[in-house]
Amino acid sequence: MTFVRVLLLAIAAYLLQSSPVLANEETVRLWHAYRGDEEAALSSAAEEYFQETGIKIQLTATPFGAFEKKLETAIPRGNGPDLFIAAHGNLGKWQDLELMSAVQAQSEQHPLALQALNDNGVQWGHPLALKTLLLFSDPELVESPPETTDALISQATRLTSEGTYGLVYQAGTPFFHAPWMHGFGAESIGPSGADLNSIEHERAYAFTQRLAHDLGIMPKRPTAQLLSQLYNDGRAAFVISGPWFLSEIDRPIRASRLPVISENGQAAKPFLSVEAIFVADGARRPQEAEAFATWLSGAEGAQIRQDTGLQAVTALNVSPSDHPIIRAVLDQSEHAVPLPTDPDISNVWRAQEKAMEALVSGGASAKRTAENAAYFHSIYSRKAPQPAGAAPYWLLMCGVLGTAIWWVRKRWKDTELRKRLSSHRGDYLWVLPAGLAMVVLVALPFAMGAAVSLYAHQGGEWTFVGLSHFWEILSASETGFTSPMSFWYTLTVTLLWTITNLILHVSIGVGLALLLREPWIRMRGLWRALLILPWAIPNYITALIWKTMFHVQYGAVNALLGFGGEPADIDWFSSFSTAFSANLITNTWLGFPFMMVVTLGALQAIPRELEEAAEVDGAGWWTRFRMVIWPLLKPALMPAIILGSVWTFNMFNVIYLVSNGGPMGSTEILISDAYQWAFSGGNYYGYAAAYAVLIFGVLLIYSRFANRLAGRRVL
Amino acid sequence: MATVTLKALEKSYGETQVLTGIDLSIADGEYLVLVGPSGCGKSTLLRCIAGLESITSGTLSIGDRLMNDVAPQHRNIAMVFQSYALYPHMTVRRNLGFPLEIRKAPADEIQSAVEKVAEMLELGDLLDRFPGQLSGGQRQRVAMGRAMVREPSVFLFDEPLSNLDAALRGHMRAELKRLHRRLKTTFVHVTHDQVEALTLADRILVLNEGVVQQLGTPRELFDEPANTFVAGFIGSPSMNLMDRGDHWLGVRPTDVELGSGPERARVDLIESLGAEALVHLELNGSAFLAVVPEPVELESGQEINLGFRKVHRFNRETGLRQ
Repeated sequence: MTFVRVLLLAIAAYLLQSSPVLANEETVRLWHAYRGDEEAALSSAAEEYFQETGIKIQLTATPFGAFEKKLETAIPRGNGPDLFIAAHGNLGKWQDLELMSAVQAQSEQHPLALQALNDNGVQWGHPLALKTLLLFSDPELVESPPETTDALISQATRLTSEGTYGLVYQAGTPFFHAPWMHGFGAESIGPSGADLNSIEHERAYAFTQRLAHDLGIMPKRPTAQLLSQLYNDGRAAFVISGPWFLSEIDRPIRASRLPVISENGQAAKPFLSVEAIFVADGARRPQEAEAFATWLSGAEGAQIRQDTGLQAVTALNVSPSDHPIIRAVLDQSEHAVPLPTDPDISNVWRAQEKAMEALVSGGASAKRTAENAAYFHSIYSRKAPQPAGAAPYWLLMCGVLGTAIWWVRKRWKDTELRKRLSSHRGDYLWVLPAGLAMVVLVALPFAMGAAVSLYAHQGGEWTFVGLSHFWEILSASETGFTSPMSFWYTLTVTLLWTITNLILHVSIGVGLALLLREPWIRMRGLWRALLILPWAIPNYITALIWKTMFHVQYGAVNALLGFGGEPADIDWFSSFSTAFSANLITNTWLGFPFMMVVTLGALQAIPRELEEAAEVDGAGWWTRFRMVIWPLLKPALMPAIILGSVWTFNMFNVIYLVSNGGPMGSTEILISDAYQWAFSGGNYYGYAAAYAVLIFGVLLIYSRFANRLAGRRVL
Repeated sequence: MATVTLKALEKSYGETQVLTGIDLSIADGEYLVLVGPSGCGKSTLLRCIAGLESITSGTLSIGDRLMNDVAPQHRNIAMVFQSYALYPHMTVRRNLGFPLEIRKAPADEIQSAVEKVAEMLELGDLLDRFPGQLSGGQRQRVAMGRAMVREPSVFLFDEPLSNLDAALRGHMRAELKRLHRRLKTTFVHVTHDQVEALTLADRILVLNEGVVQQLGTPRELFDEPANTFVAGFIGSPSMNLMDRGDHWLGVRPTDVELGSGPERARVDLIESLGAEALVHLELNGSAFLAVVPEPVELESGQEINLGFRKVHRFNRETGLRQ
């Protein structure tokens, strides 16, 4: 009893503490994605502000990768913070989504910063700091930073040796490609919109490909973690990254401006982002929030951020810092291009990133990459379908409803049926809870999803478009039938995915189950437990482990394929066949234990004597399996196969986490494609919902077919 | 058709010795029955002949061919299992034709072979049924039919009648005998039922704890049991064994004469079986059984004289016949 009482008290205390009403009495909530020194600086600034004003700032750090999404989903639903700190690049999109409130403009700030946060005379946030990419070098390896790209290349080449790389940066992402793009005279969004297929873009892509692939001075597919790991191990001479990189390293480092492009003498110009503090739309304490934002942006806050957080602050009324990193950021920001705030920029980045997947692995030429980027962009940024008149749909609905009522009335006249229905009146109570759960958890979301598919969502606006999305998807009018972006291509991949998976799951599962029955197998229980293990581990963990194992340079798979010698050099995510195989291997690892368990169970019911009889009758093992064991396993396996095929058809986790649909969307399956449409970048919710309805349709047809295949109703 | 020859055959599972030094030569066309109590190794011996169990040492030949390492499917044998082991997903027709089907025999050949067997075993009306739709006796006949269909050189039966009721068992026993007469093939039959053994066998092999106790015709086994085990095992009711100091004296209950003779016993109980009666006696303080023709005019507690028409003597230590 005491335990229960303590538990209840603990729950009550937790609820009181986290209750929004109580928590908001005294605090202003601030969300940020800072780490290391910057986070420390923010904490001490909040503490100082509390000492001065008595207003508590509650800080919540969110990983950078999830930050934007969190803001975009939480704020419109009233679950957001009062303040958030972010780069100004999403200004246009966030204005559309109404994520922030306008603020009072402050003087004594870097004019560039104020300008970046100003749109048509409205100030949207208080600038905090300037951020750009820099060229970092390891003072122990590099004597003096290079002035030109040729010098960079020659130094990097000289410093590259077994396990040590001359240059490390995330070459495949548009943000890191931007310095070369601008240096070669291209831009992501010009005065007349995005122009991604130009000779300047091609030159920039060619340069990136040279660095990332041709010269062999970079590790393949470097991730942010690999970057810091290599640097901390003293195995990276040059690193291109932003000031945030400092929070991840524990060795001496030198920062300098990016080199001048040797081909044309132009400076490499990274994006300049102005980090700002925004007052969230729907903030519960807007005045206090803005007061803190102003303070943090102004002299006092800036001084703390500069001294502790090593930020290149935008406030002009602080004593200038001579810290080399801050100096480097300020120096580089003279040669930088402010991040565009056009809402279309997210489409541009998505398109470029997708196109560059093949560029950095050497799978596509610079010219092809520019064409692909432009093609992807044209699809991501296409106009929403024309608004449709609702009248025909109302008519259709009325027709369907009328038919349904007519049918029910007709059936109601059947007294026999009526008697049967009413004779079980009490029984309906028993199925009511389950029935309600089905309605709430399955029927309603499905109906809502289906309704969403009739609307187009762009920039926070919903427009009724009728069946246009379905037409667009099925006719492949925007993409062409054979493009990886088309429904039909993805459907084909999904079917191939499902069939190959099932063949492997069933054959390996059944094979192992038969093997486990062999009398000469020792420690059968142990083997069985080990083989079931992949199934018992949450599949996203397995998927992430496999993804790392498929890394071209550091992965276990290539090491194993080297059979003890040089590791194999297969860049698993560079082509459809290898990326598909990587997904397939991962999902087979996840899928065979289920089939094995079902088979082991079913085999218990097959007397050993049947096999022996067949053996004596003259059947070899294959004949015995084909003519005796398999036909007897089939009734038990068929439901498992049908279930497995539906799981595999919708196996989002593996695709998303292992290949992420790459390269260039070619290994996407329907469900992950629908997710991409809904949640990466464009937020084409209606389009994605139409995908979901089509997936449902495909599975519905399949279940009809599967029932016949199984010879009885199992679904 | 073929002979089956076993030389010094041994079988063990790890430490456990199951069959010890089996020497046996089964003649072509012979009906050999293996008997013994449960766990004596008779089924294991049959499975060794079938190839379903490996042989630990010794040799096994069928005809002239050494079979130690030959897979069951290449031994040209047929086996009828105790559970019949019919394929539940196949009709009787396919079950019967299965051994031919997997040998890729032409369809018309399979059909005529199946029909021939079906006619012989009176299965004609059942050909399109599934095993689940048949009675025990019908299944048993299908199992035999499947064994017959491809004319193997040796038939192996593993307790084929033990799942049938008494009446059907008697009927099928006779059928088996007729079948053997007609096919003239080597039959090896395992049973724990001595009536089955005595009625069917040309020769009987008695096994106990993996060791051969005696091999001989039913007559030989009955009349001249090689040791006390065989003496006790063969014949129903079993032989009376009396401790006579330096030897065992065996008397079959049917060899007892009541009313006259040198021995004196007390009547304990009388069970009438109609044509004859089992008379339970007490002889020198031990139970003793006699089978005598009815009518028996005796009463419990009565003291009578008895004599033996035939006696068997066995060594006190070894139990062997003297």
